[in-house]
Amino acid sequence: MSELSNRSKDIGEFVPMPDDDMIVCRCEEVTKGEIRKAVHEGLWTIAEIRRYLRCGMGLCQGQTCAKLVKGIVARELKCSPALLEPATSRAPMRPTEMHVFADETEETDL
Amino acid sequence: MKIERFDLIIVGAGPSGLSAAIEAAKRGMKVVVFDENARPGGQLFKQIHKFFGSKEHKAKIRGFHIGEQLLQEARDAGVKVELNATVVGLYQDREVVVRMGEEVHHFKGDAVIIATGASENMVLFDGWNLPGVMGAGAAQTLMNLYGVKPGEKVLMLGSGNVGLVVSFQLLQAGCDVVALVDAAPKIGGYGVHAAKVARTGVPFYLSHTIKKVEGTDHVTGVTIAQVDNHFQFIEGTEKHFDVDTVCVAVGLSPMSQLLKMAGCEMEDNPKRGGQVPIIDDYGKTSVPGIFSAGDVSGIEEASSAMIEGRMAGVAAAEYLGFMTADEKKTELDKLSTSLESLRQGMFAPKNRGKNITETEEGIPISTNLLSKGFVADDEIERYPGVIHKAGIHPVIECTQNIPCNPCQDACNQGCISIGDNITALPISVKDSKCINCGMCVASCPGQAIFLVDEDTGDGKASITLPYEFLPLPEVGAKGKALSRKGEPVCDAEVVKVRSSKAFDNTSLLTISVPKEYAMKARFFKAE
Repeated sequence: MSELSNRSKDIGEFVPMPDDDMIVCRCEEVTKGEIRKAVHEGLWTIAEIRRYLRCGMGLCQGQTCAKLVKGIVARELKCSPALLEPATSRAPMRPTEMHVFADETEETDL
Repeated sequence: MKIERFDLIIVGAGPSGLSAAIEAAKRGMKVVVFDENARPGGQLFKQIHKFFGSKEHKAKIRGFHIGEQLLQEARDAGVKVELNATVVGLYQDREVVVRMGEEVHHFKGDAVIIATGASENMVLFDGWNLPGVMGAGAAQTLMNLYGVKPGEKVLMLGSGNVGLVVSFQLLQAGCDVVALVDAAPKIGGYGVHAAKVARTGVPFYLSHTIKKVEGTDHVTGVTIAQVDNHFQFIEGTEKHFDVDTVCVAVGLSPMSQLLKMAGCEMEDNPKRGGQVPIIDDYGKTSVPGIFSAGDVSGIEEASSAMIEGRMAGVAAAEYLGFMTADEKKTELDKLSTSLESLRQGMFAPKNRGKNITETEEGIPISTNLLSKGFVADDEIERYPGVIHKAGIHPVIECTQNIPCNPCQDACNQGCISIGDNITALPISVKDSKCINCGMCVASCPGQAIFLVDEDTGDGKASITLPYEFLPLPEVGAKGKALSRKGEPVCDAEVVKVRSSKAFDNTSLLTISVPKEYAMKARFFKAE
């Protein structure tokens, strides 16, 4: 059992902090407090946190906040950030409008 | 839907991607390079400083000139570079999906090299998302690519090479750098980069970090405070600066998402900067036909990225049968030797995190340099580049083992000796005759060489120093000589100004100071 799949680990109660209202994910306006609370509500992986709060799901796709979110979650879980599985990588890797993504060109000649 | 096939598809037209493309195209491969930016070259074109290394690594050449050479080499080799082409997906069997304009295009590469580089890290503090807080790399892009001054008064957070180099460039652009701050107790980048910032008068605050950035709709000020060993603020140590810009240079993270998407085995390796693919020595990932090179597989310098790129290009060429295994081995051995020589010295990847107290020569490291950015007067004499003798001679204030030797090549009088080991500290050779040509001063990427005549006969000493600021002072200009710390120490007069094509935009100022300041005066500030 890896350290992180052990859900019986006691991470203690959520303790409010003075900087909880600081925005961490700028694109989706998610605060530090929301992320910390989510961990205490049982969301221990980056994938879960992303689905739950949408942090890292906006225009920059977590380019700025991914590492910050990982650090915050790791601190709550009292583990090294390196132990946390990063978010899934999937296409489109960069923000792409649906009308563009669906517009598969007939001709490609470079 | 049509899929176009290439022998090799490279993602990223930076130093490693272009280098890979050149090697592959030279072997007759049909190569395309996609880059999401409007210009090729990655970060090379904003590097206006001279690079370290030796001749084979293009040392003493400015980064953007290396970029131009690389682009020309790629053009000559017949490499096709597609710009404004964003790779949005890397699927099974190396199918590459690229957004170009308002359409997505599909390509198939028999081999794929991912050379997507890295992005800047951020750090959280109160006010971090106010306009005016930006990555140091972003500030560099504004200045050096677009000719836009990022701000008037800037505080830099981060003392790695990026923080140090960008601080110097901010000064060159005419910004006032009010402080260089780092939470770590020691400066992370090259001492020579720190020293050239310190001697202009920029104070260093180590074991300090940002507590709060102030402002309502943009930055108007910043408060820093000292931190203890556990990076907790120490009450009562706050210092406030009025600034309009805060630059953050706290490391880079590999942009490795495409590799992960393709199913390459990954690891979280803090020594390499984060999520990186597990690769062999030449960039081969766990997925057949997919290679990686440059910062995406571990943060290093552009010089290393270019060699890694060539290695991946060669590996891909052999993988597809465009060269034999023997040819590959010969090429890779050559490249490995070159890369190995860059990965030596105090700042080598293998030494990251180590507490180094002595140079390879057994000389104690300057602790003042690590904590304040300059070598103290009572420390400087112990290094082999610093000597005293009658007449003009080079004084080389190079005190850490870094892979760099252009000074040795620059002097044809034998006044400077490094030897074959390019990380060795340069020696100012006592038994030699300096002809005052100034080539060593201009060639030093760390701006650490001064030509000193301790006694010009009239109670004065002359000091020739590298100068990369505008306006260039004129002969006869009077002002103050600044110490290594950047404090005015005495009156100084400019007695000679030299600019030459061979100096590549580093001008040489010769100042005259009272002779007791021969070993103290290291910069000039006009009145």
